[in-house]
Amino acid sequence: MLFSRRLMLGLAIAGTMAGALSFPALAGEGPTEIDLFFPVPVDGKLARDMGTLIKEFNEGHPDIKATAVYTGSYDDTLIKTRASIKAGKPPAAVIMSANFLLDMQIENELTNLDPLIKADGTTKDQFLGQFFPALQGNAVINRSVYGVPFQNSTPLLYINADQAKEVGLDPNKPPQTWAELTDWAKKLTKREGDKVTRWGIAIPCAYDYCGWMMETLTMSNGGRYYNEEFGGEVYYDTPSMLGALSWWNDLVYKHKVHPPGATPGPAVSTSFISGNAAMMMLSTGSLTYVRDNAKFNYKVAFIPRNVRNAVPIGGASLIIPAGLEADKQKAAWTLIKWMTSPEKSAWWSRATGYFAPNMAAYKTPDMVEFLSKNPDAKTAVEQLDVAKPWFATYKTVPVRKNLEDEVMLVLNGKKQPKEALVAAQKAAEETLKPYNAETSLKLP
Amino acid sequence: MSLAEPAALPVAASAPARLHILNRFSHRFKASLPAYLLLLPSLIFLALFTYGAMGRVFVDALYQRATPKAPLRFVGLDNINAVLADPAFTGAVVNNLIYAVGTAIPSIALALLFALALSRTNAVTSALRAALFLPVLIPMVAASALFLFIFLPNVGLLDYYIGRFLPVLPNWLGDSDIALYAIMVITIWKNAGYYMLFFLAGLQAVPEDVMEAAHLDGAGPYQRLRHIILPELKPTFLFVIVIATLNAVTQVDHVFVMTKGGPSNSTSLVLFYIYEQAVEHYDIGKASAATLLTLAALMGLTALSFRTMANREGGA
Repeated sequence: MLFSRRLMLGLAIAGTMAGALSFPALAGEGPTEIDLFFPVPVDGKLARDMGTLIKEFNEGHPDIKATAVYTGSYDDTLIKTRASIKAGKPPAAVIMSANFLLDMQIENELTNLDPLIKADGTTKDQFLGQFFPALQGNAVINRSVYGVPFQNSTPLLYINADQAKEVGLDPNKPPQTWAELTDWAKKLTKREGDKVTRWGIAIPCAYDYCGWMMETLTMSNGGRYYNEEFGGEVYYDTPSMLGALSWWNDLVYKHKVHPPGATPGPAVSTSFISGNAAMMMLSTGSLTYVRDNAKFNYKVAFIPRNVRNAVPIGGASLIIPAGLEADKQKAAWTLIKWMTSPEKSAWWSRATGYFAPNMAAYKTPDMVEFLSKNPDAKTAVEQLDVAKPWFATYKTVPVRKNLEDEVMLVLNGKKQPKEALVAAQKAAEETLKPYNAETSLKLP
Repeated sequence: MSLAEPAALPVAASAPARLHILNRFSHRFKASLPAYLLLLPSLIFLALFTYGAMGRVFVDALYQRATPKAPLRFVGLDNINAVLADPAFTGAVVNNLIYAVGTAIPSIALALLFALALSRTNAVTSALRAALFLPVLIPMVAASALFLFIFLPNVGLLDYYIGRFLPVLPNWLGDSDIALYAIMVITIWKNAGYYMLFFLAGLQAVPEDVMEAAHLDGAGPYQRLRHIILPELKPTFLFVIVIATLNAVTQVDHVFVMTKGGPSNSTSLVLFYIYEQAVEHYDIGKASAATLLTLAALMGLTALSFRTMANREGGA
């Protein structure tokens, strides 16, 4: 098996890249060449911004030649990174969805960054101290640093302020609790007979988004979704999640203020932009899109609470894959530190709409000016005070899907919340079984 | 050949039988050597990228890790059994059967209808043929992106126009009862024009004199269709059915773009299940086992249809 893989790889390289791989690399001269894999989970302008960023880095670092390689969505980026690790040619750095880190660490695919931090003469606490505390949970595994937060988000409540005023609600006092939100949604829903012509609220539910929204609702209901310390447990069949899913179900089938079925994120934002949904829960990452496209006044607010204010983070961290040569690893570390510095972090945040993970970024003059002009971007940062880590388990994606499939059944009126959560818990435990067999259930 | 025979016969009679066979074999090999040489370049690449990969899948299907950190070990048919016992796989197979039948029959029926209507060539039919063929030229991913907009709940093109006639607006891709059918509409829209080409070609082969004779004998349009055209089109039907079934298993780009198998696995097809096992569950063993099962089913189907075709030709 090994032989054939080597042979194929060798032939492919010999056939197509003979010219590119010529003498400088062999002679050890010239700059260290490294690849950075980057996904574009939101609109296309991001790729151009990344080009600008990397060009600036290369100009300032003549001994390193970094190349930005576009790798599709977050899920695609994980696939491509794993494929190149398997082929023995890992990229030097990857912008990886923050909740995939644990799974990759379990599969031995990540470089432990502790030695690199130590070599710089800083301590782990000093290094992590630069970033918002909420982001550290997804970057640290078993007390070792495996990722550096780069672009992050939280869910927000978006309100069509014009429509709110129209029905006598004050958009400057947005709903703070589930009860108030339900009330707002009822008032904002417009009906013609049985037909709804304007929905009070829309919450996205497609694979990936659905799990994140369930975590959002569960957390604001006092719950946790998963065990932050150990990748083998999720808490689906719990009162906090039952309350969250029942409320969502009520919005659809009891109050009839939320469209039925599972609606993906882009459909929800289009619905909001076209005035068809008066409120929506969506990522801060969509803020730039809404700002550029809404032809009405809008407001953003914290996700309302039932028990407490709490939301999960989302977004991506920079990682270094395992199995890299020392010089490339060093070059990747230089790139990562540069990209997450306050200035670059702030620039990237303004360009994309994500918030900057580096706290010092908000003290740079450009950022202070930007926030005073765009107070909605400030809400996202303020909500970070109550933000918590994003669910990450062994086999994050399948374990998340175990829940999402059941939630979709509830939103389609096929199951009641309780039986759905029991089924989700059972399915997730089955998926987590091999990992537990190796860890929590491996007894002396 | 007949000239060489008398000279060769005495030699063959005196030489031992085995040598004779070897001789003939080497002779035949020599004769076809240029053909093999010409095939060699493509054989090398087929071996590297097709047969090599298939062999790899076959080997991978026999190995599995017990726990994430455990080494790979030989498990024989365990992976195949695990796939067969997986409700997600059986669900995907059922979905795929519905999808295959529900896309093949309407698209073939439409294709035949189009072909019959446009079999005469003039400016109008040429333009219509081009229009019906257009969807074939649009890549599936681009078509999916278009239909994502068309199917958008409440604000999409479809709801905008037919929404006013419906009591409740359906969530085309978000309702687990409707999503698979919404996906099927795209496949039919895209493939009918393609199959139409085969039927147009098939219609050219219907003998003109037989049609004329039938006309003179007073056979109506329906009788001509039922007793002359359809029987003549039988090989075309067989071929198109095979292509349509293969497409139903292999052409599922729109599932990736539009629903990712959701909601609640209602649009998960076999190929998507394999992708999920390989990429999301990171379970190469199960993914390879499911691939083998699919491959076996497809090869069985193809062999069956080729045999039917050969039988028919032999009988005719």
